Amino acid sequence: MDIGIKEVVFLVVIALTVVPGFLVAFSRNILYSAFALFFTFLGTAGLYLFLDADFLAIVQLLIYIGGVLVLLLFAILLTRNIDNMKRTNALSIRRAALAGIGAVLLFGVLLAAFISYEWVRPGAEHASSPAVTVNELGSLLLSTYLLPFEVASILLLAVLIGSLVIAGRSVR
Amino acid sequence: MNIISIHSFLGVSLILFLTGLFTAISRKNIIGIFMGIELILNSAALNFAAFSRFSAGNAEGQLFSIFIIVLAAAEAAIALALLLAVYKRRSDIDADKLNKLRG
Repeated sequence: MDIGIKEVVFLVVIALTVVPGFLVAFSRNILYSAFALFFTFLGTAGLYLFLDADFLAIVQLLIYIGGVLVLLLFAILLTRNIDNMKRTNALSIRRAALAGIGAVLLFGVLLAAFISYEWVRPGAEHASSPAVTVNELGSLLLSTYLLPFEVASILLLAVLIGSLVIAGRSVR
Repeated sequence: MNIISIHSFLGVSLILFLTGLFTAISRKNIIGIFMGIELILNSAALNFAAFSRFSAGNAEGQLFSIFIIVLAAAEAAIALALLLAVYKRRSDIDADKLNKLRG
């Protein structure tokens, strides 16, 4: 096992992803959970870079951090007063215990399943990926996956109109 | 043995999935539940990208990750619009108290 600078960076990125994940799960303050979610998304973008998925990393930064997280923070600020922020993120103790037991059991089962099988196709691990994946993704998106692409665009239009209708009526 | 293997990515996404599951089940706040769902979707997208890199060797799995991210963004917009509507009506976003539709 050789540990170079790349492996060190990889472990740091994993820590950046996993540790804030636990903070999201256990923080009492929902604003802290949202900020922890920021670091989790950032770490996931770093993991995408390690997977040679440069476009995916950029999309993660743009949509998750720039879109979803900002929307989430706006929702927190619009729905709750700052002074009772401490009590906004309550856990249901009974469900938390059940969920904890279930999560630990599932962790054992899935981890055993993951490590018991060699997922790597021979030769794929050290195959040189294209340096830029945008070309390949774009041609796939407009040839094989054209129908899902168009369905996604219709979905986004529906979401745009639907969220305007739902939230706009409540504001008026 | 290389640290940057598919098993590392599977382990990270497993932990993300389970913390997301725990968050989504145990929170009372709708925003907290929503954060858990985002974590779950994030781990699913990470798994697709990892299998695309190590098992398939082409970029089709990354395409599925992109579709997951698109769906997550759509879900975020709708969920937060619903949340604002609920908050305007009830001035409370505790999911346990939203039982008006319960039969």
